[in-house]
Amino acid sequence: MKKKLSRKEFLAQMAWISGGVGFGLSAVSGKAFAQTPAHLASLVQSAGAQRGKVMVIIQLSGGNDGLNTIIPAEDDQYFVKRPDIGIKKDAALPIKEGMYFNPAMTGIKKLYDNGKVSVLQNIGYANPDRSHFRATDIWNTGSDAKTVLDEGWAGRFLSAKYPQFPVNLPSHPMAIQLGSVESMLFQSDLGRFGTVFEDPNLFYQLVSGSSADTDLPPATLAGEELGFLKQVATTSLQYASVIRDGATKGKNTLTYPNTNLGRQLGIISKLISSGLETPVYLATIGGFDTHSNQLTQHANLWKTISEAVLAFQTDLENMNLGDSVALMTFSEFGRRLNQNGTMGTDHGTAAPMLVIGKSVKGGLVGANPNLKNLDANGDIKFNYDYRQVYSTVLRDHMGVDGVKTQDIFNKTFERLPIFSNSPEVLPEATSLELITPVPNPVENFALIQYSVFDKMSIKLAVYDLVGQEIQVLFSGERAVGSYQITADLSRLQAGFYILNLIGSNGQRLNKRMIKQ
Amino acid sequence: MPIWNQQNVSHLLARSLFGFSKDDLTKAMGYGSFQDLIDKTILVDASLPTPPNAWVNTVPAQTQLNDGSAGRWYTEMTNWWYSSMVNEGLNVREKMVLFFHNHFSNERDKVSYPQNMYHQNQLFRKFAFGNFKQLVKEITIDPSMLIYLDGRGSRGSGPNENYARELMELFTLGIGNYTETDIKQAAKVLSGWSVNGLNAVFTTGSWYTEASVTVLNKTAKFDYKTLIDHIFDQKATAEFICRKIYKEFVSYKPDEAFVLKMADVFRTNKYEMKPLLRFLFLSENFYNAAIIGSKIKNPAELMVGSAKLLQVKSPDLANIYELARTLQMQLFQPPNVAGWTGQREWISSTTYSHRGGFTDSLLTGKRYTGANVTGKLDPIAFARSFSNSEKADKWVDDMVSLAIRFPLSDVRRKMLLDTILDGTIVANWNTYILGTDARINKFLKMLMRLPEYQLC
Repeated sequence: MKKKLSRKEFLAQMAWISGGVGFGLSAVSGKAFAQTPAHLASLVQSAGAQRGKVMVIIQLSGGNDGLNTIIPAEDDQYFVKRPDIGIKKDAALPIKEGMYFNPAMTGIKKLYDNGKVSVLQNIGYANPDRSHFRATDIWNTGSDAKTVLDEGWAGRFLSAKYPQFPVNLPSHPMAIQLGSVESMLFQSDLGRFGTVFEDPNLFYQLVSGSSADTDLPPATLAGEELGFLKQVATTSLQYASVIRDGATKGKNTLTYPNTNLGRQLGIISKLISSGLETPVYLATIGGFDTHSNQLTQHANLWKTISEAVLAFQTDLENMNLGDSVALMTFSEFGRRLNQNGTMGTDHGTAAPMLVIGKSVKGGLVGANPNLKNLDANGDIKFNYDYRQVYSTVLRDHMGVDGVKTQDIFNKTFERLPIFSNSPEVLPEATSLELITPVPNPVENFALIQYSVFDKMSIKLAVYDLVGQEIQVLFSGERAVGSYQITADLSRLQAGFYILNLIGSNGQRLNKRMIKQ
Repeated sequence: MPIWNQQNVSHLLARSLFGFSKDDLTKAMGYGSFQDLIDKTILVDASLPTPPNAWVNTVPAQTQLNDGSAGRWYTEMTNWWYSSMVNEGLNVREKMVLFFHNHFSNERDKVSYPQNMYHQNQLFRKFAFGNFKQLVKEITIDPSMLIYLDGRGSRGSGPNENYARELMELFTLGIGNYTETDIKQAAKVLSGWSVNGLNAVFTTGSWYTEASVTVLNKTAKFDYKTLIDHIFDQKATAEFICRKIYKEFVSYKPDEAFVLKMADVFRTNKYEMKPLLRFLFLSENFYNAAIIGSKIKNPAELMVGSAKLLQVKSPDLANIYELARTLQMQLFQPPNVAGWTGQREWISSTTYSHRGGFTDSLLTGKRYTGANVTGKLDPIAFARSFSNSEKADKWVDDMVSLAIRFPLSDVRRKMLLDTILDGTIVANWNTYILGTDARINKFLKMLMRLPEYQLC
């Protein structure tokens, strides 16, 4: 019997034979790129209307020196190891519990004082890699040190969010990167999700005159490469005018600092304000590989970030967009505690991350770095896995459920108390998760997924609206893991029901269900 | 033996040169056989080009960095290299120089002095068809490399492992064919060098003092030459280099069985490049229809090749220099020690759209910034240089077969023809009608913006 293909396998095959070209694009077939697509009308959104959440990621490329960013300026060991490049507390900006911001971070300090910055301490992973290339790949793919993945974690998130890709492209870009070389973050087995550009108008201008067709490239080596190029061309064609029009329609309520990052965040803010539904943006700032004479260079970098981020956050809040957007920084590694012989620092490991926005809890998360209990290389040990941060952003900000988040990282990562709606305690006492059954309304069979985060007894059952138990689907002990069952609901009469998951820890979860 | 026809000859030119013109193709076809084409021109030794300027032999000095001379010289040297590509004729040497520049990747940001990188660049030219083993020996003590991978100042008592690692990982054996201990021991052997201006200097007192070291299962008092001989005695070395040559000239997905055949040829010929390249360019494998048009042009191939295609004799080098940075291929500044990855890594929506912007600039005489570009095409004169210039359908076919290696669909051809006709019919079309220059430009713009045009 012929093996049934999974959705992913099917799409991968379709992507291959079609070169990932959207089949739904017959409208641009063989025509030069000219008019504004009609669907741009949908860009208009009334103020206050429900809009999707957005995450803005800033990559600090080169390996940010965490210890001179969030400074343990009351720890003598810090000055023992950094006699020349240690920053004294009198110069730095106090956070709390003996930690200080780099003196250049006045803007971020201001946001912190308003409860809009969560400072996550000692973020890393086991067996950290100190190569720029490999470590960057790890952070972008969300892998363990020993696993090599070729899909970005955001690419996997986007695969789940846009199940039609690459057969159909949504009307707005799925991910936007400001820059030139597409990050692995947005790559996936199905194709590339990112639209990469530096300036919306220039991008539009440069794309003008290109064309796309929907011919299937032949199934040869060269055909595969053509398919790839067509996908990039098609995405560019599809989105260049949407982005240009978004940038024209959108606005900034203030002047951004005249820096590369300021420019990037200004464009992102404009696009968000225009109503573009793109859920992920990537901005980049380089220069963090501070092997020598780092004090001024590092401070300047953080001055740039701090000023740009303050402008961005203020701008968004001026436009009542503060609730929709969260910004997160990451870097491929932190730097060594010891200063080196040239007034700089070499490649290290764990470092702080910042999550900024109106919906964050704010404050310092996790213990201060331990400067005496170091790893064999003299580097800071990590307290929390970087994927705990990603998982928290996906779940508590982007609204992705626990099972999907687990799928993205192939593992459940306990959330950190980053957002107002994040679990309070650290680490989290996770228990149960229940996903809305599909299809809903249900005809005969429904697929029900649930997760158990601590071993316990559970009962999964269907109730009617007056609370009477109609059908028990599972009852018994469950080990930690994600489960799915296909429930035969053919005996149910048409009407409304409640699907109920009860754990022996006392937790009860409900989902509404309609029987046709 | 591959079939001698225009498609196969075009394929050889597309891969061994930075693009080609109608006249180049005519000249190549004139050789009548692959043996003659390859032996009489593609692989013929030529004298080194004259240096860009007298500064190439000026002793490096801090003042050159302070007063901006070094930066200007880098620009001059980059343009000089582009000119060598534009004027390469039917010869693969400049392609090999770029191959070696990418293989023994050095970055100007770290090397600082263009003089050092100039001499390295000429070394690549000297060895383009020469002995690869000898090139590795020379590059090991090349001042630019000594600076770039910290060989200078590495002392036997506390060696710097940077060059030893990349020598094995990236330049000869490939990852997995040596151990961390091999690197540590080889680093001792490679110590003792420093750079004095334009010269590498060996100081015995800085060298290792052990009576012998063990590298790759052999114990000896190695020096850098015997160490490299020993590395070349490893089977993996020839395979590693041949795989990389295959990926550059044939396909980024190597045919392992064929790579082994290449490695045999390479070893039999004692690591001489010319017989290896000759074997490759005369093999059936190289002309396999499936790989024709499967390579994504690198920015140099795209930019120099487009200028050649349009027979722009003196393309605007400042335009090429600027765009190369945008397209992520600044010469003398590869991204890291591993060089440019190539193929799909060249392409994002940014670089893809800028590629179109570049080809447009050859037609419009304007850069995307609005700045003027010299060497703008005269469309009418260009069209009339073809015997089919007055037959729109035939001329479109001529241009497609010249510019596009990938078999172009009929839909695409029709689209191109409709563009050049611009509402008229083939019978009414000629280059003497008012406004034909605009039509030709529109057609060429569309041709060079086809995704197929990015392939060679």
